[in-house]
Amino acid sequence: MSLSINGNYDEQKKRWSFDLIGEIDISNAHQLRKQLEAAYDVHPSDIYLDLDKLNYIDSTGLGVIIGVYGAIRGNEHKTVILNPKDNVKKLLRITSLDKVLIEQ
Amino acid sequence: MPDTLTLSVPGKAEYVSTVRLAISSLAAKSGFDVTAIEDIKVAVSEACSNILCHSNIRDEYIYRVECTIHENKFEITVIDDGVGFDADSYKEPELGCIQGGGLGIYIIKALMDDVRVVSNDGAGTVIKMTKNISHSSASQAEKHNKR
Repeated sequence: MSLSINGNYDEQKKRWSFDLIGEIDISNAHQLRKQLEAAYDVHPSDIYLDLDKLNYIDSTGLGVIIGVYGAIRGNEHKTVILNPKDNVKKLLRITSLDKVLIEQ
Repeated sequence: MPDTLTLSVPGKAEYVSTVRLAISSLAAKSGFDVTAIEDIKVAVSEACSNILCHSNIRDEYIYRVECTIHENKFEITVIDDGVGFDADSYKEPELGCIQGGGLGIYIIKALMDDVRVVSNDGAGTVIKMTKNISHSSASQAEKHNKR
C-alpha cells in the first residue's frame, strides 16, 4: 500500500497545500504526521489537504489530521480538507469532522 | 453449514491492508454493493488497527480474522489474546469536541449492522461484527457473475 504526500508552500496565499495520493492507514499514518509537522515548523501557517486522489483513510489517518488541527488551532491557523471522495466524505460525516475540517 | 475463511495475521501494521483486501474481495463475491464493501473494508481495518494499537503486542504476535458467510449476513470476528482492555469502560468520543482517540470502535459501530466487543484486562479482545446482505444487492451480484 502506498501513500504519496506532495507539499507546496504558497508564498502569495501564505499557506501550505498538500496533495495526499493513495491510501492512509496504520502502516503509514506516521509519515503524514512527520511531513505535516516538519512543514509547519518551516512555515507556521494554514494547512490545506487535497484528498482528490486519496482512495482510503481510516481512524489512524484521521487521528493525524485531528492532531494537526488541534496543534495549530492555538496559533489561529486552520486545517482544511478539500475534495474528499465519497467514501472518505462518509467517514468525515460519521465522525462529524466534516463540520470543522471542510469549509462550508 | 456456512463457509468460514480464517486468516492468521502477523501483528505488524503492513499486513492490515492485506486483510482489508482479502475480506473486501470475499464481500464482493458474497453479493454486497460497492458502498457496503467499502463499509466492511473500513470496519475490518479498524478492528485490526485496534489490536495493533491497544493490545501491547510484539512483532512475532499472530492474531486471527475469521469471516463466516451466511445466506443473509457476513460475520467477521477479529480475535487477539493480547492484554485486552476494559470494554465496559469504553466511551464513545464526544464528536462536538474534536479529538483523535476512540474513533476506531465508534466507526465500526457506525458502519456495521451489529457489533459486539468482548474484552477483559489480560484476556484479549474479540470484536465480532455483522453486515446483513440485502437481497437486492445479492441478486445484482448474482446476475453480474452469470454474465
